[in-house]
Amino acid sequence: MLNFSKTQIMGVVAFLAIFFVGVPVLIAATGRWDFYFTLTSVALLAIASAGVWLTFYIGRINIGQGAFALVGAYVSAILVVKTGWSFWLSLPAAGLFAALVAVLIGLPILRLRGVYFAMITLVLTQVATLTALALPITNGAKGITSIPLPGAISIFSMPLVPDFSTLENARMAFYFTAIILMIITYAALYRLVNSRLGHLCRSMQQNEELASSIGVNITYIRILIFAISSFFGGIGGAMFGSISQSVYPATFVVKDSVDFMLNCFLGGLGYVFGPMLGTLALYFGWDLLFEFGKYQMLIYATLLIIIIRFLPNGLLSIRLGKGGVK
Amino acid sequence: MANGVYLGSQYAMIALGLTLIFALMNVLNFAHGQMYVIGGFVTYTFYGQWGVPFVLALFMSCITLAIVGALIERYLFAPVIKGSAREESTMLLAAGIAFLLDALILLIFGEKQRGVPKIVDGVFNWDFRLIMPYDRILICILAILSIVAFIALMQYSKTGRALRALAQDRTAAQLMGVNVDRYSMIGFALGAMLAGLVGGLLVTITGINLGMGGPTSIKAFMMVMIGGAGVISGAIWGGFILGFMEAFGLAYLSQYGDITYLLIFVSLMIFLAIRPQGLMGKPWG
Amino acid sequence: MQRRLLMKAVLTAATLTAFGSTAALAENPVLKIGFVGVTSGPAAAWGISNQRSMEARAAWINETGGYTIGSTTYNIEIVSFDDQKDPKRAIAGMEKMAQEGIHYVVGPNVDDGAAAVRPVAEANDIMYFPYAFPKELYSAPASNAVLGMIANYQSGPAIYKHLMENEGVKTVAFIAANESDPLSQRDGGVAAAKELGLEVVSDSVTYQVDTTDFTPVLTPILRTRPDLLVLSGVSPANAPQLIRSARELGFEGLISTETAQDAGVLAEGAGDLANGFISVGGASTPELASPMMNEFVERYTSMFGEYNDESNTKVYALEYILETIKATPEAIENVAAFQASMDSFEAPNPYMNGDEKLRYVGMSSFGQKRQIAVPLVVNVYQDGAFETMFIARVD
Repeated sequence: MLNFSKTQIMGVVAFLAIFFVGVPVLIAATGRWDFYFTLTSVALLAIASAGVWLTFYIGRINIGQGAFALVGAYVSAILVVKTGWSFWLSLPAAGLFAALVAVLIGLPILRLRGVYFAMITLVLTQVATLTALALPITNGAKGITSIPLPGAISIFSMPLVPDFSTLENARMAFYFTAIILMIITYAALYRLVNSRLGHLCRSMQQNEELASSIGVNITYIRILIFAISSFFGGIGGAMFGSISQSVYPATFVVKDSVDFMLNCFLGGLGYVFGPMLGTLALYFGWDLLFEFGKYQMLIYATLLIIIIRFLPNGLLSIRLGKGGVK
Repeated sequence: MANGVYLGSQYAMIALGLTLIFALMNVLNFAHGQMYVIGGFVTYTFYGQWGVPFVLALFMSCITLAIVGALIERYLFAPVIKGSAREESTMLLAAGIAFLLDALILLIFGEKQRGVPKIVDGVFNWDFRLIMPYDRILICILAILSIVAFIALMQYSKTGRALRALAQDRTAAQLMGVNVDRYSMIGFALGAMLAGLVGGLLVTITGINLGMGGPTSIKAFMMVMIGGAGVISGAIWGGFILGFMEAFGLAYLSQYGDITYLLIFVSLMIFLAIRPQGLMGKPWG
Repeated sequence: MQRRLLMKAVLTAATLTAFGSTAALAENPVLKIGFVGVTSGPAAAWGISNQRSMEARAAWINETGGYTIGSTTYNIEIVSFDDQKDPKRAIAGMEKMAQEGIHYVVGPNVDDGAAAVRPVAEANDIMYFPYAFPKELYSAPASNAVLGMIANYQSGPAIYKHLMENEGVKTVAFIAANESDPLSQRDGGVAAAKELGLEVVSDSVTYQVDTTDFTPVLTPILRTRPDLLVLSGVSPANAPQLIRSARELGFEGLISTETAQDAGVLAEGAGDLANGFISVGGASTPELASPMMNEFVERYTSMFGEYNDESNTKVYALEYILETIKATPEAIENVAAFQASMDSFEAPNPYMNGDEKLRYVGMSSFGQKRQIAVPLVVNVYQDGAFETMFIARVD
């Protein structure tokens, strides 16, 4: 928006071109239509991971994003199936509800730090799954199935988004939706990090007491950041429920929460786009190793260990040198 | 009651290994559960398959895990800790190792649930008030003995003193002439060995399968949190508390049906929110 | 430098794998059948027994010259995808199958995965054979899922009825793991038991799958002194421990489950305490197994080192797919033809002695024929092996 350098603008343009033109062309050329879904998942998981990264930014290890993704998925599914809302309205509603939950839960638990916060968020994921199993509105163990595809949006009878169920290729529609959401998320994230709030967050990451003593309202910032983080989680989860047209208590579990966190580590905690790259590498990598059959897991894990062994600060540190921006 | 002691002692042992590693290196070892599973499978292979005496099989478990632990520390954790800007990055490494061990377990030991014949048969039945199979009593005693041995080791041996110094303050320990690298490795190996020991002990009762790794790690994390991270007495307390909570909680809460576990987890969250440093821990880990 | 090199190597390897060809050369044209299920992690046992029985059968077919459909003889290739029990991955797996041009897929193994892949399968003309029980998957308007086994709401009533008539069972208690699949199965079981007039004395006790000691879990149930204890949707890992704990607590009634189990696992995990344990199996007992079944077990064992009794029920899906395509050769590319032929398809069951038939069923449960007819063989565990208790049929 403001004072971007030329190279930055070029970078953004190149980035957009890759996603909106490059990928579809490449997929059409190679005929690997299945990559659409894989990349859609990457985009959605990257949105949720962006939230986790943001909590890292205030110095908290968040292993609870799965809980908020699950909340988002359920809110959207319930609104669409039981009250007949349009999916496009339920999407922000899911994010906001997740953020609201985050505020309520964040108030007591954000006082914790380090592994203690990590653990309590881990338990939170467990609690979310169990709650989904127990509540009647979530349909308990049976989950919510047969969720309709997103409908059309039109403003003043101008069709803006077509009805997904009438589309020849819903995969592509989901891909573009997910990519657009991801770009908005990361643009917002980038803006946030480079704003006054971002500076305050960095000061909190270094030393909360000190930040507090110079007049930073740390409680407020913590809650705000955690809410934004969970908002991302809710959006990612809701979108995912819509693609699979079903939500189960096990749609997002502890493993997902841990994966979100790993995405951030792998990409690099010091870089805004770290979680995006991390998600791509972790999720896509698994698919690429598909050919190895039963050794898939072994190779995947070995590669992961090698990467972290030689690039302990994340994949992006290769470009920017070691120990760069913190 | 007896069940609580039994569950508590085994949980405490799992938590001990984890907390030891955490205290020394500030690493949350996601692969701890997998190490426990490997311990179980090694004992299974020696005792259940090849008919080696149980104690020897148990010993083999410990040795294997100690070696695995030492290698992992020396060649993976140590360099990563040195090169990383934020020490949490080790969590990714730990998770990678957990995946790797899972894959190896699957390839080497297969996907099936495994169990070994009972070491002792029979059930101790005291007037129907206390029912406990003999093998559980035996395992329970063995577990408590190992815990006592471990504490003694930490308290009175040179290694133990060095490890405790290391846990308190790395730099200070180094200044006092403790070989930090060497003792980190020993400590990690010791933690892994404990995991192997519990795995070997428990395979006689619960059996073992490759799926037990992940959940075990998470359970161990919770125990460590309850007791306070990085504190040995905390791990023991945490283990026993969770053990008792499961033994009693289930008996009393079972009337609530499906939400029993929800209640347990919610109360755990509330406890942690009120007393974040756990029972014994120093605040802010 | 080292770092660059490493990254380059990794990237090259990744690209090669992605776009490299997978052609396995053979004289015969290849017919690919997919498998999407869980073959790693905690639930690996479910998917692996599936995958291995498919691979063993495919290798057998290929070794003996291939499978003739119409006028062409095909070699069978099994393409498996590990979904890690994650519905997100399961969708990716199904996409992968569509990519490979596969129309027939076995799996996924769990409810949420099976529900999640439905849109992809229907959009890409894939018939899939899940091992999951939700009725919505198989009832109209859903069209492409075929239940690959006997659902608990079908086997449960048969077992309870048999036990009521022959063992005088009057009260029943249920216990289930705190997860979607087992809880749904429990609810189905409770409803069935009530309908049969059994008294359900306990149906609310659950356990976490990672429980290592079942004594506290079982104590409140056993206090209600049921005649029959049903382990709803119990995983092979938990079953022996549950049985052992129940017996050690002095429970003397019957214990049953509606899922398939492995005798070896029961023997190792519970020993003689598992005697009398009732479970559902395929044609594994000596008097039922046909020579072909025995050969299958032999081949499976020599290929993977060890047999898994769960595979008895899992060998069928592939056989059904192939037999149906054989009967209607255009179904090889045309899923609609496959669906049309399902109503009338019938072939002898090669795995079982007697004149059992392979055919599609499910009218009474789903309103359309979307289930393969596997003989409902109810087994009793006795000293390390299964004995047939009775055989029933599903319609």
